[in-house]
Amino acid sequence: MSRMQVLDRLVLPVIGAAIVLGIWQGTIAYYGLARIVLPTPLEVANTLWKLLGNSGFWHDIQISLKEFFLGCLIGCLLGIAVGVLVGVRQDARMVLGPVIEAMRFIVPFAWIPLTVLWFGTSLTGKVVLVAYAVVFIMIVTTARAIATVEPTLMRIGVMLGMRPWEIALKIHLRAAAPAIASGAKAAAAVGWIAVVAAEYIGASAGLGVMITNASMSLDTSTVIAGMIVIGIIGAVVSWLIGVIAGAWLNH
Amino acid sequence: MAGWPTDRAPMRRISPKPLLLGAAGIAGLLAFWTLMAFWLRDGGGVISRLPTPAAVAAELLEYAGADLWRDLAASLEVFLAGWAIGCVGAAVCGIMIGRSRIFAGLFGPVIEALRPVSSIAWVPLAVVWFGFGFTSKIFLVGLAVFLVVVVYAIDGSRRIPGDLERTASMLGMTPMQRFGALVLPGAMTEILIGARVALMSGWGTVIVAELVAADFGLGAHLISVQQSYDVAAVMATMVCFGIAGFIMNAAFTILEARLIPWRAE
Repeated sequence: MSRMQVLDRLVLPVIGAAIVLGIWQGTIAYYGLARIVLPTPLEVANTLWKLLGNSGFWHDIQISLKEFFLGCLIGCLLGIAVGVLVGVRQDARMVLGPVIEAMRFIVPFAWIPLTVLWFGTSLTGKVVLVAYAVVFIMIVTTARAIATVEPTLMRIGVMLGMRPWEIALKIHLRAAAPAIASGAKAAAAVGWIAVVAAEYIGASAGLGVMITNASMSLDTSTVIAGMIVIGIIGAVVSWLIGVIAGAWLNH
Repeated sequence: MAGWPTDRAPMRRISPKPLLLGAAGIAGLLAFWTLMAFWLRDGGGVISRLPTPAAVAAELLEYAGADLWRDLAASLEVFLAGWAIGCVGAAVCGIMIGRSRIFAGLFGPVIEALRPVSSIAWVPLAVVWFGFGFTSKIFLVGLAVFLVVVVYAIDGSRRIPGDLERTASMLGMTPMQRFGALVLPGAMTEILIGARVALMSGWGTVIVAELVAADFGLGAHLISVQQSYDVAAVMATMVCFGIAGFIMNAAFTILEARLIPWRAE
């Protein structure tokens, strides 16, 4: 690394983080803020450390992740299947297009109260919600990606005597895979936050429950620590999808 | 150049087929919904109650005759204020980070670290800080919009072609002139794309903020009808959210065509 790069990538970010932490600490000192309003960075770090040794915290993470992965899996598979159908067949696009467009505008968060009424605080409700959040993003990105697939490829497939489902699977899906992977990244981010939001309204365990409970008992330090964990998990999930997609595409 | 043949074939007759098939799709959905509603009428399976589309429509009309407009105005007020604050803040910060290496080094990583923490995760903290009122929701919506738009603003202000910048400095334009003539319009294109993407994330945040910190608005209404187990009213409110989102998106498309006509193709 040249000296410029060291400055840009190491020195300045550290100073930037120090400025933010300094403002944080300074605000508390200047206004004399109570702990329940804003704990110090050190207190948050301490709370985070304590949480890591708490089995209830790992249980909450496990619940949230389970809801998220099940919902994501169902939503992705369904979304890719419908997306391929809509992308390949024009008549399917004409029939399903308006329905998809109409449903897309009802954002997943608006479904939370209904899923609570229907499924209570159970796992099913969250899985349905995450699947709903993911499915439309996947349908739209898949269909768009397939529309841009080189038509010549398809003609070669027809010439080679491939069946329609073979063409859809081996040509369309394969050519559209990179775009689908980046769609899955965006969908996973929305799905993860939908889990947290659903847990605010109706759930008995999970990260969303943990931070709302902490907020109600004015344990702000745990709220902030929970937010950090939610952010880290979101970033890790997005990174994992990138890695898996990359490995699969280069395969 | 009017009259020249283009690849868009302006004289092409509009075929009724897509319209018919689309209507068939919507009709199919409604028919399926109605059938399910009758099938589940006596409490079948997990879905404890599913009202018919007609019942939801009746509920929607009743709500439209009562508090809908007040609630909608409250939600839109929060949304527009938060969205405007978020967009302007993101434009200022994004251009600063995009144009200055020092700012980019200092605050780029901070913003990157904040971005995975969605504004939804800030709801409990906002409740502690600002209570259940207007400020709390504006803060959340503003944050949601900021975190989306700032990325586009950074990107847009960096994407000014180097040739244009060199030409501008060769012509002796002052930094201020260059900023007004080059950087701002260039960044603005990307910022408006970001602002459109942020419409839906901002609107989603309004919903969650109102569900949790309910006093006024569509989300507050949604939670109150949910607590009285009125499934038809819940679904009617969801439809209101959808229609409002759709209208916002359409309105923004028109606005965008006005603001950056060179993009509208």
